[in-house]
Amino acid sequence: MRRYETIFILRPSLAEKEITDVIDNTLKIINDDGGTVIELDKWGMRKLAYLIKKEKQGYYVFCDYAALPQSVAEMERKFRIDDSVLKYMTVKITASITEEEITAVKGAIEEKKVAAQKAVEDAEKAASAESTEKAAPEKKASPENKSEEKKEEKKEEQKEEVKEETEQKTGEEKEK
Amino acid sequence: MPVRPKRTGRPKRRLFTRRKVCRFCTDKELVLNYKEVKTLRNFVSERGKIIPRRIIGTCASHQRQLCSAIKRARQIALLPYAGTSHNQ
Repeated sequence: MRRYETIFILRPSLAEKEITDVIDNTLKIINDDGGTVIELDKWGMRKLAYLIKKEKQGYYVFCDYAALPQSVAEMERKFRIDDSVLKYMTVKITASITEEEITAVKGAIEEKKVAAQKAVEDAEKAASAESTEKAAPEKKASPENKSEEKKEEKKEEQKEEVKEETEQKTGEEKEK
Repeated sequence: MPVRPKRTGRPKRRLFTRRKVCRFCTDKELVLNYKEVKTLRNFVSERGKIIPRRIIGTCASHQRQLCSAIKRARQIALLPYAGTSHNQ
């Protein structure tokens, strides 16, 4: 098993169902040949640095997986045929990876995600504790106004999910 | 090996030949990844060209990694090949 990273860009005009279909098909190709998906990250809509097939935006999907070279070839063949995939890029990370290493890497990634979410939650709690809830959307707005939109968009998506949970929690606490 | 420029009476040249430290060697936290567009943008000019090593001061091996990371990012439209990415 070799460890690969694939990024593919889907057309922005696709419906959510179609996006999940494409992703499920690619995961199926990986799993059918006995590979394992280490990480699947949907970066979402992003502005492209140049026009690809006359599209200005694209839906980015990132996948980190361990698979055989045949499955990579099959995946790329499917991407080439599919009209909804604008671009794809596969990068080999390691030449060989054992199952133990896969589980170790997966665990490390999950730990990082949990730690990142906790950090965001702590920041949220500090913000809401210091001032009223009105100040929290203002603090949301100031990082958005910075020119570094692309990375922030990815983090904001995660933050928004966490913020919804924390706002519900803080709402409940204040009611009590 | 680059030859040090002799004193031709152009003080501007001198500034660039100051021995700078490689940013990646000193700061171990900096990850050289084609996905980290923010860090990569520091090493790319306004027009999108890769800045030479003698100006930035990276070491040779890190400059090679940086180049391949920038080229990969260009392939996947995270960085432009030419022009700024805000040109649309």
